[in-house]
Amino acid sequence: MKIFSDFLRLRDLEMDNDIDYAIVLEEGIKVIASGAMSGPVLKCIAVDKEHEGEGFIGRIVTYLLLKAHHEGINHLFLFTSPHNAFIFREFGFHEISKVDETAVLMENTLHGLSDFIDELSRKKVEGKKIASIVMNCNPFTLGHLYLIERAASENDHVHVFILDENRSLFPTEIRIELVKKGTKHLNNVTVHHSGYYIISAATFPSYFLKESKKIVDTHGRMDLKIFCNHIAPALSVTCRYAGEEPLCEVTSHYNSLMKELLPAAGIEAKIIRRKENKNKPISASLVREYLKAEDFKNIQKIVPPSTMKFLKSEAAEPVIRKIKGQI
Amino acid sequence: MRIVKTGIAGTLESSDVMITVRENTAKGIKIELQSIVEKQFGKQIHRVINEKMGELGIEDAIISINDKGALDCTIKARLEAASYRAAGIQHVRWEEK
Repeated sequence: MKIFSDFLRLRDLEMDNDIDYAIVLEEGIKVIASGAMSGPVLKCIAVDKEHEGEGFIGRIVTYLLLKAHHEGINHLFLFTSPHNAFIFREFGFHEISKVDETAVLMENTLHGLSDFIDELSRKKVEGKKIASIVMNCNPFTLGHLYLIERAASENDHVHVFILDENRSLFPTEIRIELVKKGTKHLNNVTVHHSGYYIISAATFPSYFLKESKKIVDTHGRMDLKIFCNHIAPALSVTCRYAGEEPLCEVTSHYNSLMKELLPAAGIEAKIIRRKENKNKPISASLVREYLKAEDFKNIQKIVPPSTMKFLKSEAAEPVIRKIKGQI
Repeated sequence: MRIVKTGIAGTLESSDVMITVRENTAKGIKIELQSIVEKQFGKQIHRVINEKMGELGIEDAIISINDKGALDCTIKARLEAASYRAAGIQHVRWEEK
């Protein structure tokens, strides 16, 4: 692993800690090319300066495509700088979106994004005021419900996107199910999977930028550009809601980017103050904290009955075990 | 032959071709061709693919081709391998031709 990270450093790249698989090509004891994969995202693709133009990138990309294929992943993404995008175009990658001169997001299918948008636009609901909320709901709390209810009362329809990225303690299907159950009483709410193009491992680039602040900034801009140019038009979204974020720096920066970028695309950005319980903002992390201590009395005060019912059911046991195993 | 999953064959190295065959939920053969010699041989490559599809009896499929200047015989071989994989056929009885 060390020769790999040393090689990357020479090429001005960082090795991310979420890599599932990595390969290097060696000449003698010297690394001359590298590539890695994290879920559906190809990363750390580089070649030694002296060996540029000798076709090693092709070999690396081939290995990664085949490896991903055998893992059942055929839809792949990668980030690169605009001046390197042409290299990956040669290997069948197509540009999804670009942030200034900093980063390009690419995918290996011709119609990936447009197919997703076609599918999404079938769920369009007519109306003058259409809201959208993107949330993780790990798990669904009264705070989430408050935000959705607020948007539902102020708009003709609300499209709620639940993050698909299965890195949360509560699996995606359960998170979505709990949102659906908890919003059953609202007849102008649609709950969607967020898919690959809304706050996923794919729309969040990382590695070729050094300062972490800059990374978050580029992540956010890439993601919001796709939202403004593709997602919002498909559903005629006029307003996006988000909960205020006093703790997490990444989310709070993302919120401020929403305020900056959405209005330019004709979409209002509303950051709503969090609902509180006894002067404490309600959050999913608080629920998880209480779960760890098996404090169901306090959980009851901050989750809707449907979430409570699930947490007490047998189906919740593996999740709770996972939460307790965390330090 | 019916395509039931995604099959890949070939590489992205010079003089080779990487072919992906996958299910087409719509009907027909859809070809997504990217080739470094598309201007010179684009039509010829389409012909080779359609011929092979007819030979294999495949009616519905999406075929993505990333060609790095492969010869026709290479394209045919890669396409045949990717198709068998996409049809879930593991034991192929190669015929002499």
